[in-house]
Amino acid sequence: MTPRWTATGLSQDLPKAVAMAGHWQGQDLAVWRSATGRLQAWNDRCPHRGMRLSHGFVRGETLACIYHGWVYGAEGGCKHIPAHPALTPPATIRVAVFACVEQDGVIWVAPADTLGAPTALRGLQPLRSISLTCDVAAVLLVEPALSGEDTLRGLVQIAGQACEVCLLVQHGASGLTLHALCAVGADRIAASRWLEDLRRRAERKGTA
Amino acid sequence: MIAPQVLNEWYPVAMASQIRAGQRRLTQLLGDPITVEVQDCAIVVTGQGGALRVTEAFGHVWACPGTPAHPLFPIPEALETGRRLVDVGVVRVKCSPLRAVENFLDIAHFPFVHTDVLGAEPHTEVNRYEVNIRADSDEVWATKVTFYQPQAAKSAEGGIVTQYMYRVPAPTAAVLYKTCPARPDAWDVIGIFVQPLSEELCDVWPWMALYDDTTPQAELIAFQQMIFLQDRSILENQIPRLLPLDPGMEVPTQADLTSIAYRRWLKKRGLTYGAQMVAA
Repeated sequence: MTPRWTATGLSQDLPKAVAMAGHWQGQDLAVWRSATGRLQAWNDRCPHRGMRLSHGFVRGETLACIYHGWVYGAEGGCKHIPAHPALTPPATIRVAVFACVEQDGVIWVAPADTLGAPTALRGLQPLRSISLTCDVAAVLLVEPALSGEDTLRGLVQIAGQACEVCLLVQHGASGLTLHALCAVGADRIAASRWLEDLRRRAERKGTA
Repeated sequence: MIAPQVLNEWYPVAMASQIRAGQRRLTQLLGDPITVEVQDCAIVVTGQGGALRVTEAFGHVWACPGTPAHPLFPIPEALETGRRLVDVGVVRVKCSPLRAVENFLDIAHFPFVHTDVLGAEPHTEVNRYEVNIRADSDEVWATKVTFYQPQAAKSAEGGIVTQYMYRVPAPTAAVLYKTCPARPDAWDVIGIFVQPLSEELCDVWPWMALYDDTTPQAELIAFQQMIFLQDRSILENQIPRLLPLDPGMEVPTQADLTSIAYRRWLKKRGLTYGAQMVAA
């Protein structure tokens, strides 16, 4: 399979100095933003004892594991082991790093060696992310105006007006997450209600 | 197929006082359904293949699904006069029973998981301590463990350097001895008895034998439950769920000597229920 960019969240949902869980095609990731705003995506597993790094805490430009406080810096290298403060951690203690970029208000991840950039989404603004317990086919069935496979796009009726929407599909272990964008200038509250209604209709129609 | 050396060990399956009070506990041991109940004044554990060998100790009911390789381990302190024996109850954790035991043996996580209670930054250093397998009892022991603690016990006032000893007397049980704030010449004793429901699910029964005549029972239990619920947030988020016995999979340090010894001890004895043998 060709490595490709997957949307794993919206920029607005990841403030500075926060870590969150992300995914790339079944691979769990820790996606985090440093105190100065630098975004990174790493394998969601501390090399020490396997704890999820997405539960960790950000200090400055580092992410620390919540279990034993091991500190990891840029490029995933271990910088500090609190149980042994005088020790310089060997360079071999390293978390696998993924490519992670922010574009159009969307956080995209891909394997580290991925070339090129994600598809640009012009004229759209980020709306919100929503989780569904059904598959993509069910979404397309209840909203025929949408089309696509990993990026569902179309002109749908929101509060009586035609509105362009874009739903970026992310497959997870327990279903689907859609990262939604809508036309710049659209009524975001109405669009959010449309999205919730879409979820209700799609989940009623089909299960994952 | 579960290895005979796993089946021939003792496992906690209930709190004895609850069963004696007439409760019937429908539960699971090593993946199989079992029932714990009183029949003709005796506590009986019944599995799919009939009655299991049963013994009662330290407030809990222990069962052996196979032929016991040895009697249940002793905790001599449980018999000392003046100690308060506290059955804390049960905490269900979605993790390998072996991961639950390993976490109990770990001190380096105190400042980060039990922040401002069992540890606090910047007091994070784990000093060198001693670990060995005792030849007479075939138990893992860690001694000369010290750690700075802001509130070592419910009865502690202010921070102290706590001394610890750890002991693994059975594959899914561990006992610790720590400085007793009320009696500097004695040790408080805390155990966790882990019931392996399956390889990735367990019921943890903490138990204490303390010198503390003043703290109300409910507060002692609440304190331990708070600690174990903090541990649960870790245990349910470790990858992989099974405890890796392949040394290439995780990166231990000197602070993890007890965990290293525990993993080797399990591997050598073939006690691999809840363990993962290959790197992944």
